[in-house]
Amino acid sequence: MNIRLILNLLLATIVLAAISVWMGQQSYAWLPPQAAAESKMVDDLFSFLVALGSFIFFGVTGAIIYSILFHRASKYDYSDGPPIEGNVTLEIVWTAIPILLVFWIAGISYQTYERMATHGPMEIVHLHVPGMEEAYAVAIEDTIDPDESIEVRARQWAWEFRYPDGVTSTELHLPVNQRVHLNLISEDVIHGFYVPAFRLKQDIIPDRTIDFEFTPVREGRYRLRDSQYSGTYFATMQTDVVVESEDAYESWLADASGHPPAESFNQAADEYYQASQKSVIPGWKTIAPAPAPIVNYPTSIKDSQS
Amino acid sequence: MTNVPVETLNETQQPVPGAPNNWRRFFSFSTDHKVIGIQYIVTSFFFFLVGGLFAMIMRGELITPEADLIDRTVYNALFTMHGTVMLFLWTFPVLVGLANYLVPLMIGARDMAFPRLNAAAFWMVPVVGILLMSSFLVPGGPSQSGWWAYPPNSIQNPTGNLINGQVLWLLAVALSGVSSIMGAVNFVTTIARMRAPGMTLFRMPAFVWAVLSAQLIQLYGLPALTAGAVMLLFDITVGTSFFNPETGGNPVLYQHFFWFYSHPAVYVIILPVFGIFSEVFPTFARKPLFGYRVVAVSSILITFVSSLVWVHHMFASYTPGWMRILFMVTSMCVAVPTGVKVFAWVATIWGGKLRLDTPMLFALGGLVMFVFSGITGIMLASVPVDIHVNNTYFVVGHFHYVIYGATVLGVYAAIYYWFPKMTGKMYYEGLGKLHFWLTFIGANLNFFPMHPLGLQGMPRRVASYDPEFAFWNVLASLGAFLLGMSTLPFILNMVSSWIQGKPAPANPWRAIGLEWLVASPPPVENFEELPIVTAPPYGYGSNEPLTENLSPSNAAN
Amino acid sequence: MESSLETQTVSVASHAVEHEHDEAGNSKFGFIVFLLSESVVFLSFFGGYIILKTTTADWLPPGVTGLDTQEPLINTIVLVSSSFVIYVAERFLHKENLWGFRAFWLVTMAMGTFFLVGQAREWAGLPFGFTSGVFGGLFYLLTGFHGLHVATGILLQTIMLGRSFLPGNYDKGSFGVEATSLFWHFVDVIWIILFVLIYLWQ
Repeated sequence: MNIRLILNLLLATIVLAAISVWMGQQSYAWLPPQAAAESKMVDDLFSFLVALGSFIFFGVTGAIIYSILFHRASKYDYSDGPPIEGNVTLEIVWTAIPILLVFWIAGISYQTYERMATHGPMEIVHLHVPGMEEAYAVAIEDTIDPDESIEVRARQWAWEFRYPDGVTSTELHLPVNQRVHLNLISEDVIHGFYVPAFRLKQDIIPDRTIDFEFTPVREGRYRLRDSQYSGTYFATMQTDVVVESEDAYESWLADASGHPPAESFNQAADEYYQASQKSVIPGWKTIAPAPAPIVNYPTSIKDSQS
Repeated sequence: MTNVPVETLNETQQPVPGAPNNWRRFFSFSTDHKVIGIQYIVTSFFFFLVGGLFAMIMRGELITPEADLIDRTVYNALFTMHGTVMLFLWTFPVLVGLANYLVPLMIGARDMAFPRLNAAAFWMVPVVGILLMSSFLVPGGPSQSGWWAYPPNSIQNPTGNLINGQVLWLLAVALSGVSSIMGAVNFVTTIARMRAPGMTLFRMPAFVWAVLSAQLIQLYGLPALTAGAVMLLFDITVGTSFFNPETGGNPVLYQHFFWFYSHPAVYVIILPVFGIFSEVFPTFARKPLFGYRVVAVSSILITFVSSLVWVHHMFASYTPGWMRILFMVTSMCVAVPTGVKVFAWVATIWGGKLRLDTPMLFALGGLVMFVFSGITGIMLASVPVDIHVNNTYFVVGHFHYVIYGATVLGVYAAIYYWFPKMTGKMYYEGLGKLHFWLTFIGANLNFFPMHPLGLQGMPRRVASYDPEFAFWNVLASLGAFLLGMSTLPFILNMVSSWIQGKPAPANPWRAIGLEWLVASPPPVENFEELPIVTAPPYGYGSNEPLTENLSPSNAAN
Repeated sequence: MESSLETQTVSVASHAVEHEHDEAGNSKFGFIVFLLSESVVFLSFFGGYIILKTTTADWLPPGVTGLDTQEPLINTIVLVSSSFVIYVAERFLHKENLWGFRAFWLVTMAMGTFFLVGQAREWAGLPFGFTSGVFGGLFYLLTGFHGLHVATGILLQTIMLGRSFLPGNYDKGSFGVEATSLFWHFVDVIWIILFVLIYLWQ
């Protein structure tokens, strides 16, 4: 190895590293706002992976492009390249480095996971294994007071939320900076509770209640989407999550409890009804959507866009 | 000693003289592995166009946020059929076709171990296709539960008919599985027992290693899918309760069955493509495959590791924490043998004498897209990131970089590379290059935008979406239409060159390999005299003859 | 692999001839590969059984207390012993004693049939059906799928028995008999696991 080659390699590495760090910083902008405490942790991890990934991607493609530019055979050069069949040192190095990288990435992902688990939803999910139930039961009772939980009911194709004092709604209201406990329930098929701004997702398996908790930290209106394909009107199964101050949340609850339950607008039920009015049906027969939810705080047409 | 007369061998062969010029044999129950290979490739390409048409209609729907072009049930049927057709009727069969054509030639065999089984396995593919397409005609239409067919969604049967799209879908997938198992038994036996004298394991081309690794996955993985499919079929038709939560069943168990096969299935697809890369790069860089043995062994390693990664598809499906972490680590481990291969290819190209013919362009394009998908793959294996992007367009983008970027580009590379061998004609280089650029630009335009969409939280399998996602969706749709058009120069090239192309020499690329030592197209039974192999497969630059008894001049006639 | 280089030239001659002509060897190899693959179907069913048994709240259908193990145990003994009987039959064929082969082969078939009849009787007397909850489904699925294999084995044995009367049938080797016998051992081993899972682990 001559000095020139080493210097060139060093220079390339520095340039690559600079680009990668910059990409890592950019990556925050590719994601939705950080509306939950968990979002920040996921984004930091993602940024790290983007930086590392950029380094590898630009390194490999850079080498390929360099070869394409500078190692081309001239038109009438029919000779072969150097018969290099391998290089044991190099091969050991490029096996060892990915192994180390993989464990590094896994370690950092695990750390993030643990941090999310200690004050996030990750470990709450558990199997209903007879005999193992007791082991989990203590931990669950520690963290969740059932009276404080908001019940999330998913059905084809509507979301319905039931608050501790009996108020129901079709958009989810949450107080900011407070630990939220949700009981996720599906009445028919598998659905997924997904709020991109929270970076959280959990499939809702029918016939079991899934405990889920997290901490919203940023006031605003975000989208809640069904993330596990649930049939014909899957795409319409969206609603809003409103994160608001404790006071606003309490007054919203009080206000809503004063309303008599009324039928909410439901995109799926509406589309199904519209289609049934037509003489020619443009598609195939579908499972009929559940009737539009009847709740204290219904969504109107203009609130819900799919 | 090895001059075994041809006529005493394998009477199952078609002994028709001049058979290679008879196009009718491509429409017959031929037992010649080369005919079957081409039958696989052409049949699967037809279904590639069908699946592509479905995709273009879907992208047409997605060019606007509203569900306005087609009914939602139609959209859902289309994405289900798109996935099913592309996997079971395009990528699997086209790669099996390539392997069918190449493996016996590459290991110096006169045919596969079981020629009639081979033909039977092929003829199941059109039956699978007809079965699947016929579901458009039954009441209720084709399956609309996605190609995963997760219960209880797939158990719901709005028409109440016993013969419905979902049942036909299951039958088609099961039949395709039977065909694949037959093929896998045949490949493994052929590679294990039919190698020419001197063709030791470490003299087999990397492509053969890759096919062997992929077929081993079929053998251990497909039965699990079959078990799940049988149970799902009973749930749908006779009302058992294996996966039906209403009667005490466990829908998550199905996901385990499904992904135990369907994640490794991606390696069944990508491993032969790795094999193609390993053949094309040395030839067009005029250098031996760097670290050949490591590349070969890493294929087998992928076979083993891939059996332990399936739960990463289920990080959000009620999976306990220990399982999430365990499968995160195993999934990331796949990156090691894969990364070693990528480095080996780059080192093969490095310092070579590159020639950018169409096969090389496609292989290079495929490699770049594969590296990108590998990086997003690591992100998806990381549990916290996956929780966010799972079931979003990020996954769709990642998957299509693997399945289109690496696989389809790799298959194109293979078709151009071995087209002169298969047909005895040269293709048109200009059309080939045009095809490459349309494909490469189209694929990136189509699939790159899916990553930002997924990061922003757009779920997959939606017929309508929030208006904020419109920009990237329009780009993706334009890319899809471009990809659709990119097949036109390809078809034109293939058809016209096969009919009236310039005759191809036995070895147009000056490549090393047994298949290049016989005429183009190779005669029935491939080798008049079985080759005696005396050297490893990639002797570029070292002037070492590959065999004792066959030389390039033999094949000139 | 390098070490084999020296021996290569020596073995080359036999190598080529053997590989081109050893179709029976290929068939046997392929058949073993197929059986290994087939065993994964059973393993998957068993895995599903274990997972469902440990996670289902109401495992047995209402009114069902468990399975009677006595008759199935007799069935099991008969089926497992038939593995030894078919081995003896094979030995006879090996010694070119055709009538000995046929006699023991027939006994194997009888034992297999005894097993199937016993299972059919058990099915007929059970108080639950295929759609009676998770347990009912799994019971019939596993025993039925295995029974299908036993029936296939008996069918193969019938064909082999018929073929043994063809003159010159074993001139090219006895692959059919070997494969059938191998299949029969496979079916028996699967049954042992199945018996432990379904009947003993209640």
